[in-house]
Amino acid sequence: MTASAPSILSLVLLTPLLGALGLTLLPGGVSPAWLRRLSLAALTAQLLLTAALLFRFDPTTGQMQLLEQMAWLGTLGLDYRLGVDGLSLPLLLINGILSLVAVAISPLTTPRPRSYFALLLLISGAVNGAFLAQNLLLFFLFYELELIPLWLLIAIWGGPRRAYAATKFLIFTAVSGALILVGFLGLALATGGLDFSIDPALSQQLGLGTQLLLMGALVVGFGIKIPLFPFHSWLPDAHTEASTPISVLLAGVLLKLGTYGLLRFCLSLFPQAWALLAPGLAGWAAVSVLFGSLAAIAQTDMKRMVAYSSVGHMGYVLLAAAAATPISLLGSLLQMLAHGLISGLMFLLVGVIYQATGTRDLTVLRGLLNPQRGLPLTGGLMILAVMASAGIPGMAGFVAELMVFRGSLLTFPLATLLSMVGSGLTAVYFLLLVNRAFFGRLATEPDGKPPALLPLAGLARQAPAVVLAAGVVLMGLWPQGLANLAVASTSALGQPAGGPFTSGTLTNMVIPSANQPVASDFLLEAAAHGG
Amino acid sequence: MAADASSDPLSPLLQRLLSGVPLLAESPTHVLEVVGVLESYGEVLDAYSRNLIYQGEQQFLNPFPVFRFFNGELNWGRLWRHLNHDRINFEYAEYCQKAMLWHGTGGLDAFLESENFADICRQVGRLKQRHDPLLGLLGALFPQFLPELIRSAATTHALGQFWRVMSDLFLDLARAHRQGQITSIASIVEFVKTGLVAAAGLPIRYAVQLHGATVAILPEDAQLTFLMDVAVPYVEAVFLRGMPFLGTLSFNAQATQIPHDQGQFGYGALFADPLPTMGAGIPPSLLMQDMYRHLPPDLEATYRTQGRGVVDIHVKICMSFQKAMFCVTNGAINGTMPHPLDDPDPRHQSANRDHCMGWLERLRQAQLTALEASGPEAIRTPGHH
Repeated sequence: MTASAPSILSLVLLTPLLGALGLTLLPGGVSPAWLRRLSLAALTAQLLLTAALLFRFDPTTGQMQLLEQMAWLGTLGLDYRLGVDGLSLPLLLINGILSLVAVAISPLTTPRPRSYFALLLLISGAVNGAFLAQNLLLFFLFYELELIPLWLLIAIWGGPRRAYAATKFLIFTAVSGALILVGFLGLALATGGLDFSIDPALSQQLGLGTQLLLMGALVVGFGIKIPLFPFHSWLPDAHTEASTPISVLLAGVLLKLGTYGLLRFCLSLFPQAWALLAPGLAGWAAVSVLFGSLAAIAQTDMKRMVAYSSVGHMGYVLLAAAAATPISLLGSLLQMLAHGLISGLMFLLVGVIYQATGTRDLTVLRGLLNPQRGLPLTGGLMILAVMASAGIPGMAGFVAELMVFRGSLLTFPLATLLSMVGSGLTAVYFLLLVNRAFFGRLATEPDGKPPALLPLAGLARQAPAVVLAAGVVLMGLWPQGLANLAVASTSALGQPAGGPFTSGTLTNMVIPSANQPVASDFLLEAAAHGG
Repeated sequence: MAADASSDPLSPLLQRLLSGVPLLAESPTHVLEVVGVLESYGEVLDAYSRNLIYQGEQQFLNPFPVFRFFNGELNWGRLWRHLNHDRINFEYAEYCQKAMLWHGTGGLDAFLESENFADICRQVGRLKQRHDPLLGLLGALFPQFLPELIRSAATTHALGQFWRVMSDLFLDLARAHRQGQITSIASIVEFVKTGLVAAAGLPIRYAVQLHGATVAILPEDAQLTFLMDVAVPYVEAVFLRGMPFLGTLSFNAQATQIPHDQGQFGYGALFADPLPTMGAGIPPSLLMQDMYRHLPPDLEATYRTQGRGVVDIHVKICMSFQKAMFCVTNGAINGTMPHPLDDPDPRHQSANRDHCMGWLERLRQAQLTALEASGPEAIRTPGHH
């Protein structure tokens, strides 16, 4: 570690990991309530440390900051290098928030609570590691590290078909990991840079064919994780079988590893190949958006519907990344954050409904907005989440989608227009959800479900949902907060600029970003018009 | 036919009526609910009755009756409480009055359409023309305007008189229960029936002071009486028919979800869905709020231990209210029975059977599940759609 380097990033990374270790070393007989309190304490510390990063972070530069470096296994090329920029910092924040929410909503009746909470902390730490890693192998290590706890959390604490869903998840993501490892190893071998540093200067010197090959492996690898059509089929099953806190984490944070990988590794390292494949990627994004949206319309299980909506909404991120204009790249990050908050909120609310009624079946649920016997607060928040997801102005989804579409329209008009149709379809399937489950008369047939008298969750237990909803509105009304943090870094992603460990010069690259207004100017303009 | 009769859900109810057993199942909880709800309803009806009589007498033909709910006691404190809804919601009383006027059944309505009543309207019109140019002008332009206003005022006053009797009856019932005289549903139905029969012949009269003259709007020679001219039309209009657009379910008239024949309406209190569905809904929600303010302590304590406690107390009050209204209807059916139940004459028995069946047919789609002895969680989907 360099002498002057602050160790705050290591603290962010290690706090949850040490928390997980601490939980496992606690003496036996500790009550589940204390296990949860300790987990909450570790995650609160992690969130506070991440928030403290904001004070030390310089948003005016797109460079990696607060770098920490330490030789580890130099012979393998595995160095401990951490850094943060405007792309990873907001994602760290959302990981901090959603991990806290996931632990806070975990019921104390969870079996084997010690392992459960330790695994949750492990996931949170591994995700931090992946977002902070400035070494390809280190990223891969954390990327893989997060898989095992998630697999266990689905396989042990999941629903009736958990074995099937967990195995499917593991197979898909193991293939994803293998492809990413192939990409990274191939890159190292091809460039001769066996230190596995993230160095665009080296990768851009490769021939276009090599670039295409390596990037193809990475795109498919991350595409499975995102997931994009046709690699998506593990996600609805995993969501359906995972418990609510795991679904919140999965949708809100873990899928973002895929989109983060696309931006950080595919776009940054291979801009020429990216520019060449961009039209195809945009088309793929449109197909993914439309498929996810149309599949969501056909669902009758609320969780599957939200899961398919994730497939659609992640398509916007690919579209924006493909266009690679300053506005669209900022839009892609905002879409990741908005989707993280909104889908996290939705899965949380679906969990409340499932707990209260015993079902997620949209053919059974009715009238849950009933003010006296239904779940009016949950219903109200669900309507807010649905509106945000459909891109209603004033909420997070609107800002993100507007920037994605505005940034991509001139570059890929057809793909953008098709994606806009997907945005319209979002309103269709979520209105179906709201109309079926929340409006009308409360279903209270004595021989049917849900029961006539729903157990009402206390206000304290609803607090996480309220906090997330407040975040959705805050991001919608004040997107500059996040955008100013990220704009320099997202703009740099599409530019011929080196990473923090770059030593060489850069070759020219062709990015279809000509004649695009600067992202921050656009945001100010949108804000001035009430956006 | 025998098979049909035995499979008909109404046949057990018919047997209960003909053998003098109350429609509502006997249970200590039912007694607590019915007596408690009727006591709070009695308190509410007392306020409704005073206000309707005040409106009939003091707000007669007032073109802008803005302060009609204040019973003449207008001050800032009262206005604040009114706007703050710290009050009895007289809107439900108006709803009932409008339902009676609109459905217009029985002797009162027949009189309001008679030539005798038209003469009274002309007399009022002449008196008003001299002092009220606005009404004079409207009356000249629209000849049916003034009579309709007077019909409305007459119904208002008649309903006030009816509720005066019912309020006293329900408060007496609660008193009798506290004295240990009421211990079962059967004794409640009997108490109500006796009270209705005793009041059956009470005259319904209404006169107003108009510019120094006294005008009898419902004069003595109209011979209107409590039971047949007001009570039975009230039950018909409010308990049975009701109004489709003010309930808690919404209907589509264009899609013929509402019967063409007004007599087939089933939107009254006995049909009301206790679960509010966030649609428009003065009844029964405002009435439940009014009764909530006057719940006897023991019933309120019971409600607080059930379901969601205070959160869904209106639903529970509504469910108990329907049980209570079935008891009142039961009392009315028994009180208007053509012959004694123990009459051995087969023709009289047949007449009794027809009388009961006529009532029960009207109740086929009502919330009959309220009749069973069950907990507060039992709310079923209403059958009428």
